[in-house]
Parts: sequence; structure tokens; C-alpha cells
Amino acid sequence: MSEPHDRSVVLSGVEHRFRARDGEVHALDRIDLALEPGEFLTLAGPSGCGKTTLLRLLAGFMEPSSGEITVGGRPVRGPGPERGVVFQQPTLFPWLDVRANVALGPRLRGAGKAERAATADRYLDLVGLHDVGHLRPYELSGGMQQRAQIARVLAADPDIVLMDEPYGALDALTRERLQDELLTLWRETGKTILFITHSVEEAVFLGTRVLVMSPRPGRIVLDEPARFSSDEAQVPPEELRALPAFTETVARVRGAIQHVEPPPRRAG
Amino acid sequence: MVPAVATTLSVRAPRGLLLHLLTFAVVLTAWTLVSASDVVSPAYLAPSPLEVWDAFVRANSYHPIGGGVDRVVRGEEGYFLWEHLVVSLRRIGIGLGIAVVVGVPLGLAMGLFRSFGALLGPYVDFLRSIPPLAYIGFLVAWFGIYDTSKVWLLVLAAFPPITLATINGVRGVREDQLNAVRTLGASQRQVITHVLLPATLPDILSGLRVAVGFAWTTVVAAELVNGLPGIGGLAYLSGTQNKIALSIACILVIGFTAIALDAVLRISEKTLAPWRGKA
Repeated sequence: MSEPHDRSVVLSGVEHRFRARDGEVHALDRIDLALEPGEFLTLAGPSGCGKTTLLRLLAGFMEPSSGEITVGGRPVRGPGPERGVVFQQPTLFPWLDVRANVALGPRLRGAGKAERAATADRYLDLVGLHDVGHLRPYELSGGMQQRAQIARVLAADPDIVLMDEPYGALDALTRERLQDELLTLWRETGKTILFITHSVEEAVFLGTRVLVMSPRPGRIVLDEPARFSSDEAQVPPEELRALPAFTETVARVRGAIQHVEPPPRRAG
Repeated sequence: MVPAVATTLSVRAPRGLLLHLLTFAVVLTAWTLVSASDVVSPAYLAPSPLEVWDAFVRANSYHPIGGGVDRVVRGEEGYFLWEHLVVSLRRIGIGLGIAVVVGVPLGLAMGLFRSFGALLGPYVDFLRSIPPLAYIGFLVAWFGIYDTSKVWLLVLAAFPPITLATINGVRGVREDQLNAVRTLGASQRQVITHVLLPATLPDILSGLRVAVGFAWTTVVAAELVNGLPGIGGLAYLSGTQNKIALSIACILVIGFTAIALDAVLRISEKTLAPWRGKA
């Protein structure tokens, strides 16, 4: 527990192939990447390019065909509580109410009742769900479920949060509100975040570093700093999105994606 | 089947209740008319509802043996009718208890370890496809004519549906739910206790409902051999002794008990797994 907090994530020569019905799929091609602690990394790319595969490798749900992933110098050998995952579909447990879902991480590591309650309160407040803690997950709207899932992941206190298109299924308004919330949470907690999205604006708006991946086999084709989310000036989001620097970055990222976008006749 | 009957009896609107009462009155009237007419003779073969009620009350009380003899006897065959019922229910309880203790872990293991499931699957399917009563002969030969053979029979009837439902439940657990709890720091054991078991609970409960239905039909039939005390045994014996009113009283008790059991299970399903069909 008291070991130094070197939680940088390093992928070296990570390659992934898997068997599908129509033969072998080459999903990822030699990815070399380092995530520095406290970074907000966004990863954009055409659908089916292997973004989710990369996230699942980092989470430890599967192992790369070759290459190595290390967290704080230690190779990843499976899922671990230092790497939280926010899934595309909220995977809240319907047999627990929202509060108990949020308090699950502390409960699993054996925290006492008082600590569990305090943690649940803190993170329910943080995502604005303190009024619905007693409800079951299926009684919440999609946006609220996603917030509850984020609260649950943060309450388990991971160093790294992996988010797989968490806002993909939400309407535009909810999405923008949750983006702002997420930035606030990130500034308050200082976690390392890897955020996958297919929305270029979202990637540029949120990330301190924007990555673009090519179609299969996935490679990182653009790795570019973006400082909008960490801007000290704290420009209101609407204005920020209108800044020339913002639109330029968006154009550059979009260009990188379109440059590698597969011809339309191929199924996406 | 029992669940269908139970559903028709679950009354929601007052109008539904009225219709049910009306239907019931029509059935009772028809029954009374048939028994009063000469359609069936001799008359004792077609007792009226009142005669059945009398037989039911007699069977639950001390009553004179009749025929000019002064002796007073306890219920029927030395036991009150409710005691016959309790004995049958006890057999079911023990049989189901064993079936759950064996069937749920077996189903969990078969669902978790594919190769193990593939290996034992055909045997469970085989056992399920056999009408339980087919075993009664050799079970009696092995375990004698007393309760042991009946309980074994109930275990054999009840555990395949429970095991199959559990397997089904385990296979239906979303991979990402297991992944999610692992990233929250769950140990292998905590994955089972915190996700796998609760996620499988609704299926286990449905399996249990099917098993209770099986067990109930089976126990009544099993009591044809040395089934006293026992509600099935009493229904059968009284019929063979031309005590038709008593036999019908037993049949009604059997039917109503089955409906009540199923209703209790449905309620516990709703309380224990309220998320069923919602998440």
C-alpha cells in the first residue's frame, strides 16, 4: 500500500490478433504508448479500429498476442482495482441499490460500515445522485446510470480510469453536461484517464492528449497535445468550443481520421 | 398446469373478483345438480359439495366411527387430514432441500466450467426426461417402503430442473458484469458471492418453482405404495374403499395446496429478485 505511486502505464510493441468466423483478425499492430499519471488521454478512431480491444487489454480482460503492458513497472496479468473501467453499457448490479453499487469497491476490500457510507455519500454527491441512492439501477435514466457507474468506479479509488465510449448512447445535452462533470471530477481527483470516443469534438474537448487510431490493424496515427480541458483560464465550454485553436485541433484530428478512413464500400 | 391455474386465480380488479365468484357459484350449482340427479348411481359415487365438506370436517376431528358402534376415532386412518397433508409437505420439503443443496452447486459448477458441464450435461438431461415414478420400484427395493425411498424419489424429480435452471442462469451472466466486479477489486470468491450467485438467483427460483410442481405430483403418486399418513395415500385409499366424498376432499386439498405453494414461490421471486425482466 505504501509503495511509491509510480502508476505510469506503458504499452510496448503490443499486438493483438484473434480468431473470428471469417478467419484471423489482426486488431492491433505494434502499439507503443505511455500514459503519464494525471493525463487525460482521449482516443478517437473509426468504429471497429480496435479502440475497445486496446482498452480491454489495458483492463486485463484479455492478453495481447505479443508485446507487453505494464502499470507502474509491473506487467498486467488480469483485471485489478488500480485500473477502473467505465463500460459503454452501465454494468450496475440490479440486486444492489445505487448506493450499494457505489459502495461496492470499498466493501470488497473489507472497509467498515462507516467508511463505506462516507465513500458512497461523497461520490453520490460528486455525480449529483444523492437523492436517488435508494433506487435500483434500472429505475434510473441512461445518463444517471452512467453517472452512477462513474461514481462506483471512482469510489473504488483506481489510479487509472479506462472509459469505453461511456457517453455514446446519450443525447447531446446529457452528454455535454456529463463531459463538464467529468472534467471537474478529473481536476478534483487527479486520476489518469483513458477515454475512448468516436466523437472528434469530445476527444479534443476532454483530452490533454488526443490519439487517433487507424482502421484494422489499429495503429496510433496521431498523438497530439490538447490543453483545452486543463486550461487555467477555464473558459466556459460553449465559448471554448468556438475558439479558433479548438476548431483547428478538431480539423486536424478529423483530417487524421479521414485520411485513414477505409473506402466506403468496406463494411465499417 | 399449476401455474396457469394460479394465474387465473390471481384477482386484481373487483370486477374480476365478481366474475370469479360467479363462475365458482355456477360450478358448485352444476356439481350439486349432478349429484342430486340420477345420472350417477348409486348416489354415494357422486357426493354433493355439502357431503364433501362433511367428509372434510370429519377427517379433521374426532368423530364416532358410525354404524351403531360407540367408538370415537381420530380423523382418518389415525391422523387428521391436515396431518396427512403435513406429512406429504414434509417429504417434499426434505426432498427439495436435498435437491437444492445438490442441484445448485452442481449447476454452478456445470455452468462455470464448460467442459465439466458438457461432460455431465447428458446425464442430467437423461434424468430429467424420465418420469420420476419409473424409479419407484427399484428405490423401494433399495431403500425399503418407508420414507427414505419417497424422499429419494423426490430428490430425483426435483434436482434436474433446479440444476438446469442454475446452469442457464450462470451462462446468462454478462461477461462484463464479472469483469466489472473484478476491476472493483473482487477476489475469485467474491466474484461468485457478489455477482454470480445473485445474478443467477432469479433462474434458481424459477427452477425451484418447476421443481416444486414436479415434486408435488410425484409425492402424491408415490404415496400409492404405503403412503399413510400422506394426503396422496389417503386420496387413493379412500377412493378404493368407496369413500368418494373423502377422496374428493383430499383431491381439493391437494389442488389448493399446490396453488398456494406456487403463489408463495411467486411472491418470494418478486421480493428476492425484483429486477427480473427489468435489467
